[in-house]
Amino acid sequence: MSTLHAKAAEEYLRHTDIVERHDKTFFGVRQKRDNMAQALPEWEDLREAASQIKKHTVSHLADYLQQFEENATRNGIHVHWAADAREYNDIVYQILSAHGVKKVVKSKSMLTEECHLNENLEQHGIEVIETDLGERILQMMHLAPSHIVMPALHVHREAIGDCFRSQGLMENLEYPNMPDDPNDPTYLTFVARMHLRRQFTEAQAGMTGANFGIASTGEVVVCTNEGNADMSTSIPKLHIVSMGIEKLIPDYASMGVFQRLLARCGTGQETTVYTSHFRGPRPGGEMHIVLVDNGRSQILSDPEHWQTLKCMRCGACMNTCPVYRRSAGYSYTYFIPGPIGINLGMLRGSRKYSDNVSACTLCCSCDNVCPVKVDLSTQIYRWRQQLDSMHRADATKKIMSRAMSFIFRHPKLYTRLVGSLHLARWVPSAMMKTPLNPWTYGHEMMKFPPKSFHQAWKDLKPKEDEQ
Amino acid sequence: MNTKDKILARLREGVQQTFDMPDLSQLHGITYTDPVAQFIQKATTTAGAHLIELPGGVDLNQAVHQAYPQAQIFASNLPGIEVQLNPDTVEDVCQLTAVDVGIVQGRIGVAENACIWVPQAMKEKAICFASENLVILLRRTDIVSNMHQAYALIAESGEYFRDYKFGTFISGPSKTADIESALVYGAQAARSLTIILTS
Ligand code: SF4
Ligand code: SF4
Repeated sequence: MSTLHAKAAEEYLRHTDIVERHDKTFFGVRQKRDNMAQALPEWEDLREAASQIKKHTVSHLADYLQQFEENATRNGIHVHWAADAREYNDIVYQILSAHGVKKVVKSKSMLTEECHLNENLEQHGIEVIETDLGERILQMMHLAPSHIVMPALHVHREAIGDCFRSQGLMENLEYPNMPDDPNDPTYLTFVARMHLRRQFTEAQAGMTGANFGIASTGEVVVCTNEGNADMSTSIPKLHIVSMGIEKLIPDYASMGVFQRLLARCGTGQETTVYTSHFRGPRPGGEMHIVLVDNGRSQILSDPEHWQTLKCMRCGACMNTCPVYRRSAGYSYTYFIPGPIGINLGMLRGSRKYSDNVSACTLCCSCDNVCPVKVDLSTQIYRWRQQLDSMHRADATKKIMSRAMSFIFRHPKLYTRLVGSLHLARWVPSAMMKTPLNPWTYGHEMMKFPPKSFHQAWKDLKPKEDEQ
Repeated sequence: MNTKDKILARLREGVQQTFDMPDLSQLHGITYTDPVAQFIQKATTTAGAHLIELPGGVDLNQAVHQAYPQAQIFASNLPGIEVQLNPDTVEDVCQLTAVDVGIVQGRIGVAENACIWVPQAMKEKAICFASENLVILLRRTDIVSNMHQAYALIAESGEYFRDYKFGTFISGPSKTADIESALVYGAQAARSLTIILTS
């Protein structure tokens, strides 16, 4: 019984060159992260501090939310509370329709994706323009993001160029020094720039997410490289912030810790280009913050999985995950892929999204890169233990696990079996690779050495003593 | 019960175990023996900015014009800068999208990542983002080593967020790598950044 992830990954893996490119791209980001980590002597102290701050804030969230609301209100910001996606969508629509908004420019936010805001607003006849370049490309191509920070890296330049041309974005556009490659990334970025800058001036409202909310000052912080969140909020007079309640941190001292970690972990940069602090509406404008629960308070009460609330959506766990890198975002059935997505999906609906828990080798690499020390692999392991009671465990693997467990509990039998493993070399691989042996499927049969490790160790010992 | 009370009640009931806030005064960020040199190095390499160290006696206007000889429309509200548009008095904010060079004052420079704290000190903050090119003036003496120090200065100071409720750290020009990871300057906001270090 293969999971949907395994089936989708199998299909994806047929395209060797694409897989290799995807793997390399994201491992490159992981390596840049490593360089950042190694350049700071205080790196592990930062991670520990970040984890402790989040544990503290999340376990005092009600108090901090009240403090945040009080301060934000004093700053002249309207604060709204939404229990679920529906209430959130209603609130946003009401604010927009009260202002007669026809077009919204929006910077990237996974929360709006989670709540399907765009579809909802479009049903009401409000045009939504994504302004992050990657998101805009996906929106025009009617594709979903494949990564939470670098959403469109799986789309190749030719497809992007074709899409821009079909939308007429190149018309009446002057570009000095036209490159030979009509899909040159610098040229395509320029085309998108001109297109998006027009949108900023036409829209009546700007929407952003929030990377952080600061309780002590009642402000939100948005980090981007492109400056699209800032463009979206500098020209239209109305600014709506969508913020998951877990994004809160206590104060400026905490902000220093998270600012230093976010970009280093996410993209391997020392900082994003813009780290913008919004503490109120712009002159003559209006600012709203919608605080969204949508299942988060439920997660808090889950003794085994509440630590996922520490996540700050940096994407580092995806970049390092060998399964994500080789199966890519669309193989997962939840809209957030990779280690954190496996867990968030299970928390959203453990029956609906259980296909993703197989997308893990339990290598624990994700735990080691996570800036806030979410225990990602432990949680995935726990979900797997629970699969059985949910009748979603793989029956063949269960039988094999029982047999192995029996062998491991009987050391003598184990030693004898291991000693004869090299005989497996003489078994024709056609016999090993049968549907009855699912573990040889997709794996190359390993070559067992003629001597077991135990035997080799014993043989080695006397030689050491002689020295 | 309204939604807010419901959410707060669920959060209060749901807590499994409470944790104390760590003592962040024990966290020591990296410091540099020469933060100015480190800042210049970061700004002109990874951040992708240009940097001019203004020698005494050289006129600021002259330096800006030399940095952008082709530019026609300059915008600023800083005293002594010759401009065509002023973000305090501009009629329609969309006019600022036609600015070739916007000039603003930075207040804190951060050596570890070339961030510059630019608090909103003008009516239309669009000048910081919509201008094709941005010039940030920064005093050498306002450079610190790391973000912890910068945030401590902002938290202690009563002068930011008083008149306008916005401030941003800017490190280099607007950039993107969303198309096949190729780094491109000039995504949606300023296409170039020039930092003028003053004494
Ligand atoms: S432990 Fe699992 S989810 Fe985490 S990096 Fe390894 S394979 Fe990926
Ligand atoms: S779980 Fe950790 S590494 Fe993964 S996105 Fe969240 S903060 Fe980043």
